[in-house]
Amino acid sequence: MGKVAFICNGCENENIYPAFVLASAAVASGDDVTIFFTPPAVPALKPGYLESMTGKGMPDMCDLLEGVMALGGRMMLCELGLEAFEVTAEDLRDDIDIGGATSFMASIQDAKTTFSF
Amino acid sequence: MASIVLDALGLKCPQPILQIAIKAKELQPGDMLEILADCPSFPVDIKAWCERTGRTLLFCATEGDGKHKAQVQF
Repeated sequence: MGKVAFICNGCENENIYPAFVLASAAVASGDDVTIFFTPPAVPALKPGYLESMTGKGMPDMCDLLEGVMALGGRMMLCELGLEAFEVTAEDLRDDIDIGGATSFMASIQDAKTTFSF
Repeated sequence: MASIVLDALGLKCPQPILQIAIKAKELQPGDMLEILADCPSFPVDIKAWCERTGRTLLFCATEGDGKHKAQVQF
């Protein structure tokens, strides 16, 4: 199966929902999925934020999130976001890895598909 | 060989496929999974998922009221 990387550049529905809908379909099909959050997405990574997201006609975000994680998806935050938003890893959800640009690029260097929202 | 029913009625794309993939982790080769779903893209999506993951789609029928029933052999 393939490798797919998603970049979330904010914490609005338009940043988060498409990433999780497509990531769900990808992990369900056996793809190796990484969702990378750039600094403007930091507020979405406070505990409970993703779970509280709703959108008219949209699938349940809790189900998408649980499914992505249960099927081996990975969420990663750019470490630059911590200082930018004056938070530490302890302020954020604990299922997210915090890493640098180089390790992210290394982990997705053979990704066939990338999306940015 | 187990035969299992997954009720995905009311779930929106891509939740039914996600639920199937989660269920698939506990199924053995030869097991049969019957899925009920009513999201409009389900018939096309289940066909694509089976082709991509190497499962056999035995049938996918529309039963009225927008409900679909599919059977997948693992």
